[in-house]
Amino acid sequence: MEELKVVGETTQFIVIKLGDEQYGIDIKYIDNIVRMQHITRVPKVDNYLKGVINLRGEVIPVMSIRIKMGLEPDVETKSTRIIILKLEQHSTIGVIVDEVKEVVTLENDQIEKMAYDAKEEMKSFLCGIGKCDGGLISLLDLNSVVENI
Amino acid sequence: MDVSQYLEIFLDETNEHLQNLNTQILSLEQEPDNMDTINEIFRAAHSLKGMAGTMGYKRMQNLTHDMENVFSEVRNGNITVKASMIDVLFQCLDALEEYTTNIRENADEGTNDNEPLIKELNLILNGDSDDDDDTAAEAAEEEAAAPVSTVDAGDKKWLEIKLGDSEQSVLKEAAKQGKGIYGLTVKVQEACILKAARAFLVFKAVEETSEIISSSPAAQDIEDEKFDLDFSLIIVSDASLEQVLTAARSVSEIEEVNGDVLDLAHLDGPAQTAVKEEAPKKEQETKPAEVTAPAPAQAAAPAAKPQAKGKKKADEKKAPANKPVVNRTVRVDIEKLDTLMNLVSELIIAKNSLVSASAASGTSSAAVNEQIEYLESTTTSLHESVMKVRMVPIESTVSKFPRMVRDLQKTLGKKMELYMSGEETELDRTVVDEIGDPLMHLLRNSADHGLESAELRKERGKPEVGSIFLEAYQDGNNVVIEVRDDGNGIDTEAVRNKAIEKGIITPEQAENMSEKDSIDLLFHAGFSTAKVVSDVSGRGVGLDVVKSKIEALSGEVEVKSKLGEGSSWIIRLPLTLAIIQALMVDIGNEKYAISLGSIQTIEDISPNDVKLVEAKEVIQIRDIVIPLVRLNIILDIESKKDPNENLVVVVVKKGDKMAGLVVDELIGQQEIVIKSLGKYINKCKIISGATVLGDGEVALILDANTLI
Repeated sequence: MEELKVVGETTQFIVIKLGDEQYGIDIKYIDNIVRMQHITRVPKVDNYLKGVINLRGEVIPVMSIRIKMGLEPDVETKSTRIIILKLEQHSTIGVIVDEVKEVVTLENDQIEKMAYDAKEEMKSFLCGIGKCDGGLISLLDLNSVVENI
Repeated sequence: MDVSQYLEIFLDETNEHLQNLNTQILSLEQEPDNMDTINEIFRAAHSLKGMAGTMGYKRMQNLTHDMENVFSEVRNGNITVKASMIDVLFQCLDALEEYTTNIRENADEGTNDNEPLIKELNLILNGDSDDDDDTAAEAAEEEAAAPVSTVDAGDKKWLEIKLGDSEQSVLKEAAKQGKGIYGLTVKVQEACILKAARAFLVFKAVEETSEIISSSPAAQDIEDEKFDLDFSLIIVSDASLEQVLTAARSVSEIEEVNGDVLDLAHLDGPAQTAVKEEAPKKEQETKPAEVTAPAPAQAAAPAAKPQAKGKKKADEKKAPANKPVVNRTVRVDIEKLDTLMNLVSELIIAKNSLVSASAASGTSSAAVNEQIEYLESTTTSLHESVMKVRMVPIESTVSKFPRMVRDLQKTLGKKMELYMSGEETELDRTVVDEIGDPLMHLLRNSADHGLESAELRKERGKPEVGSIFLEAYQDGNNVVIEVRDDGNGIDTEAVRNKAIEKGIITPEQAENMSEKDSIDLLFHAGFSTAKVVSDVSGRGVGLDVVKSKIEALSGEVEVKSKLGEGSSWIIRLPLTLAIIQALMVDIGNEKYAISLGSIQTIEDISPNDVKLVEAKEVIQIRDIVIPLVRLNIILDIESKKDPNENLVVVVVKKGDKMAGLVVDELIGQQEIVIKSLGKYINKCKIISGATVLGDGEVALILDANTLI
């Protein structure tokens, strides 16, 4: 995410919730947000891959960020959503989130890059922390989230 | 104008000509006296030369020119065809292919002059005939053109070109400078598809030595293809008429070029008056008609006029009738076909949705059902038609093999013959493009490892010349391509020893290995039994690549071999890739699809009939023992069925092998559209894809082949 380094630029993030923590996903990678629907299980794959869904005739794999990040498994509620991501070097994939809250625009000086801490397990999934209205948003590094699938 | 827009046509045609040359030279080797073959070769070489020349590829032109000279001498009976000559000719074709590849990749022919080849060609020429090769070739060309150059007046249409004052003065000026003034009439072959491109190439060829003063129809109209089959030019040139004519004739698909020195007296003479007389009439005629009008020079005579007019009318009528014959085929970008195919897929999904929606809403009256059935049959035939459009005969791929086997014969020093059948078998275009390399590999393999040397063959009482067969045929929903040889067969003992040596298996494993398993070792990555790494095969990349390539095309390879008698490699490819008929089954409340193509029978088996063999469950159907595969275990689901109930077993077949898949329930047969699971989910080998069902749910497609 090179643009984070450029001074004075702004980046838009969609704020999602996983448990009590707020995460930000760069809006340019988001193709679509759909409601939770029936996911067809695929046997013999890693546990964080929940299966596949039908998105307007296309078959798209869906993964659980929670399981991938080592959190509690997803509990489906009324606000559960699937965010369809389109990353440059990867094909389309859906991720399950607890809730989609809002869109925020962050100035680059509102974003703090992650301090390197080898012990912290979560660090590899984040690329920075955004400060917005007194709250903190963990900014997801999507490439490492979908990596090694 | 710029030639790059004709590059594609050039490349396509060059390939066709090269392919043709390859085949023809091969048959020339068989029957050196066949005049038809020699003529065909000469024509192809000649067209190649002309095309290369007009596109400005000088090196290619030089080489083809020398080849053409050789052929021309052969045609005139001055040289007899010898094996050494054929070799040189094949080398020339390889060089030409290299040029073409360079052009395709960088739009440049490269810098290889192929001097040695040209020298050898000249040696052939000089060794057996008089040394004036160039003139001989030219003479031959003239000879070829001779019958058509006995021109009748109808071919001299250039005489009717109207010249303005400024053009006339240019001509007069040129005449004073001693330049030649010629009139040309070029006739394009009736079957020619891109007339404008041909005309452009003629223009370009002529412009190399000459200046075009006027043309009929106007240059713009010719470029827009607003002419029938011929067009005329008035040119001023430094070169001789013969040179100009030769240049124009070298363009392919040009039927004939007629020309003569234009007498300036003509300008003021009868022809000019003829034009003047005809002028008012012509203005009433439409422009294209003017082009087709074969008004002869003698039209000056008033009596000829009505006749000329009548002819014009006839031609006008003929022109539209001719058109469709020329444009019966269309070249279509494969991507457009892919889009069309995707749309058909969408339509079939929509149709399936409609079926389940009408069933769910309970509105299914007889009328609705009737319409749905009609829709169903229409979408099925639509799908079939689109599939057919994408099908091409495998001929385009396999036609290069006879040449390859011939070359192998030389490099390996073995005698062999390739017999091909079923070249007309059709497959999806993408498959045909991809199947070439694996087939080539298998053929090389047969030639190198399969066939024994001539001495050994004699000892074994086999004919000295080894046979390799390449057979293709359709078998139900599959196309089978078989590569067979009557050589040594596979020495499974040697294979096992090699595998132990390479550390692929342990000696203990080897002892218990069946013949079939041993043969399968050949497909193991990095396995090559050739003791010496030869030029032909044994480069480490081998049969494993063949296998993975074929599997990527959803096909499979099977090997049958008998030591001492030969082996055969059977490739089975599905006819369709995108839409298949499938049986939907239920396993633990999950829906799965099994391709109907691999299903043999469906059986109802009592739990008591399940026997154990080596701790594995088997059933016996009509005296055949079939291993059982419990799909719920493989797919990690709990079966919803009472274990005491009868089992529903779907018997699937792959080659000779069978397996019984145990499912909970059958849902029914359905036409499904195969969707890829994407690269995130590719670890699961037993799932070959997914499909969207009528209710919008996704069902996975089981690859029965991996379960056997």
